[in-house]
Amino acid sequence: MTKVASGIIILDGFPNIEERIGKLTARVSESKDDIPFVLLDCHDESIRKIDRALMETGETLTLLSNSEVLTQPGKGSGRFVADLADGPTKRALKGTSPLRSLLVVGSGMLNHAQLALVDDEGKTHARADLTVLTPDGAGRTVRLVSLQGLRGYDKALAALSAYLRGPAPEKDHGIADLVDMLFPEHESYDPKPETVIAPDEIAYDAANDIIRTHLAVARRNEAGIIADHDSEFLHDYRVALRKIRSVISLFRGSYGEAQTADLKRRFSDLMTPTGRLRDLDVYLLGRDAFYDLLPESLHDGLRLMFDIFIRERRREHRKFVKLLESPQYRIALTELEVLFAQGSRPEPGPEAAHPAQDYACGLIWHRYRKVCKIAARITEETPDEEVHELRINCKKLRYLIELFAPLFPRGRLKALLLPLRELQENLGLFNDYSVQQAALQDFLAHHPLKAQQDERAMATSIGALIAILHQRQAQERARVVKSFEAFDSPATRREFASLFRRKGA
Amino acid sequence: MKIIACYSNKGGVGKTATAVNLAHAFAQSGARVLLCDLDPQGASGFYFRVKPSKKLLDEAFFKDTERFAKAIRGSDFDNLDILPANMSFRDFDVFLSRMKHNRERLGRSLKSVAGDYDIVLLDCPPNISMLAENVFEAADHIVVPVIPTTLSERTFEQLLDFLDDHAQADKQKVVAFFSMVQKQKTLHAETMARMRETYPDRFLAVEVPFSTDIERMGTHRAPVATFAQTRPAAKAYDELQRELRARMEGTTDD
Repeated sequence: MTKVASGIIILDGFPNIEERIGKLTARVSESKDDIPFVLLDCHDESIRKIDRALMETGETLTLLSNSEVLTQPGKGSGRFVADLADGPTKRALKGTSPLRSLLVVGSGMLNHAQLALVDDEGKTHARADLTVLTPDGAGRTVRLVSLQGLRGYDKALAALSAYLRGPAPEKDHGIADLVDMLFPEHESYDPKPETVIAPDEIAYDAANDIIRTHLAVARRNEAGIIADHDSEFLHDYRVALRKIRSVISLFRGSYGEAQTADLKRRFSDLMTPTGRLRDLDVYLLGRDAFYDLLPESLHDGLRLMFDIFIRERRREHRKFVKLLESPQYRIALTELEVLFAQGSRPEPGPEAAHPAQDYACGLIWHRYRKVCKIAARITEETPDEEVHELRINCKKLRYLIELFAPLFPRGRLKALLLPLRELQENLGLFNDYSVQQAALQDFLAHHPLKAQQDERAMATSIGALIAILHQRQAQERARVVKSFEAFDSPATRREFASLFRRKGA
Repeated sequence: MKIIACYSNKGGVGKTATAVNLAHAFAQSGARVLLCDLDPQGASGFYFRVKPSKKLLDEAFFKDTERFAKAIRGSDFDNLDILPANMSFRDFDVFLSRMKHNRERLGRSLKSVAGDYDIVLLDCPPNISMLAENVFEAADHIVVPVIPTTLSERTFEQLLDFLDDHAQADKQKVVAFFSMVQKQKTLHAETMARMRETYPDRFLAVEVPFSTDIERMGTHRAPVATFAQTRPAAKAYDELQRELRARMEGTTDD
């Protein structure tokens, strides 16, 4: 059910409702029994970010925004938006990530009452749904007022709104503030926190800041990986570690040689055990797409393959959870946190004192030139290795720009990253198709099936998949030259030079 | 937007009760409804506790679309708004007689709020006047409650004759149903049988009973379904709504 409210007000605590408001009489319905509620959101707070709040009470899901209340039957916690029954709540959430599950932010008790302002003939002029939310934890009790005006009674609505807001209304709270009010202990999560870098900050400090920030992001995902809520915890964990690794390898000379080698090894050790688990997640997330590639007659073979993937994923997950919960892991992470904690000192390198802005320009310009140089050599006939080389350098360029983003005007970087991302998309697909072919071939070699019939079915399906992936790879390969030409426009060239080229470079 | 007029050239047949309960039933089924009270006595408004409009006076109803829209009041029920009448409505014929296009004026006024509603119900005063001709012109369906008595049979004939002779309105718009039916009365049963035979397809199947529940609307000041939902009268109005809806869906949209 959709109820468009004339306004939703969030109040701290309880306003006393008098018997008369202006010329009208206030009638408050007898409040019903308290019922438990849970507030749900995805780990990345994608619901809060669109100014909404999702509440589950018994078998009802209610989605609040600053102007409407949507309800539909069903439960949400632990489920994906796509799994919800069709209804207005689900429809309003279609912008959230399909890969994120709905998790409990906090719980408490809820009480509903209705307030109506009526005239001397008993006619209602304005209404309000009053919802009192009492959180279980240390947060404060919040009263949600959903005002409902009736056509032709605007004055009464304004009077009720003013009355409930009180004589000296503080800054109006919005739906997005609900979490902080109810559950102040809830830690907000940002998968892509921007590190503040001052232009005159030295490269060494900038590197430490970025690593410290992303180390914290990685840690925020550990519990979700262990609980296996959804695939995105591991994904974010890996992205954070990869960012750190790129700082270590791309911020040349920020750390001493021995320190760099040591850090590279330590972060590689963290990344390595996640690789297979992530690959399996990617296969499983793309399951439907794989089925779409093949005719139905070949689906049985795919089912056999995915059954093996599911079992393998279960094993890999268990193995990784064990690692995350091990003392060695905890010690390794704590040591890294201590090393990058403010005031602590990894060993600086020769470029450590280089001012960040100048340092960033040098690295980005150098990498950009390298990308252009490699691309210039690529024709239809160039061997695939060179295309891979281009892909890797584009990736490094992208990482550098993103890592140093706080130093440059946001809008101008965005304009540069867009064509770069398109080029990377092409190169990325080219690589994915090639890696997947090899992986499937390898998979077939290492997973003999007992029944000959099954063996044949799976081999046929995988063979067909490889053929299709090979074709797709060729298609992507054919696009590379054009993709780079699109990226390499005079405007982009000028912009790279103007942003990153230093005098004398 | 579809316009349904609750009309009878005879008084006391249950027009207002029909308009009020039908409006409520349509709104409950999810349609956005405006109940427009054209009767200066303002009974429809009374049942919904809406006070007479103070500013929609004299010719404003037909001439001032802004004022017309502003006079609409939300009822206490979802999807249901009321345009209350006032005593100046008794002079509608005088104003209309002075205006150009005076058979289309009502339709024009309603058009100004067409976007807000799926259904507009008109509660009409019981006479054949210029206002009534406006109603015949504007309405998509003219719902006529008929008490199954000899006198009512005669007025129903008169209405159909009038529509034939004078109004530009299509007689096909007329949908009748039996109102205030007392089944135990032989006269009622006989009249209904005869009229159903004389006017095939004109009468809906539903029969709204004579009921104290309907009379009690005056003390409750609310549609019958809100305080006697399981009783025969409330069920009959709901059935009336369903039958009408089926007819409306049978006709093509303009």
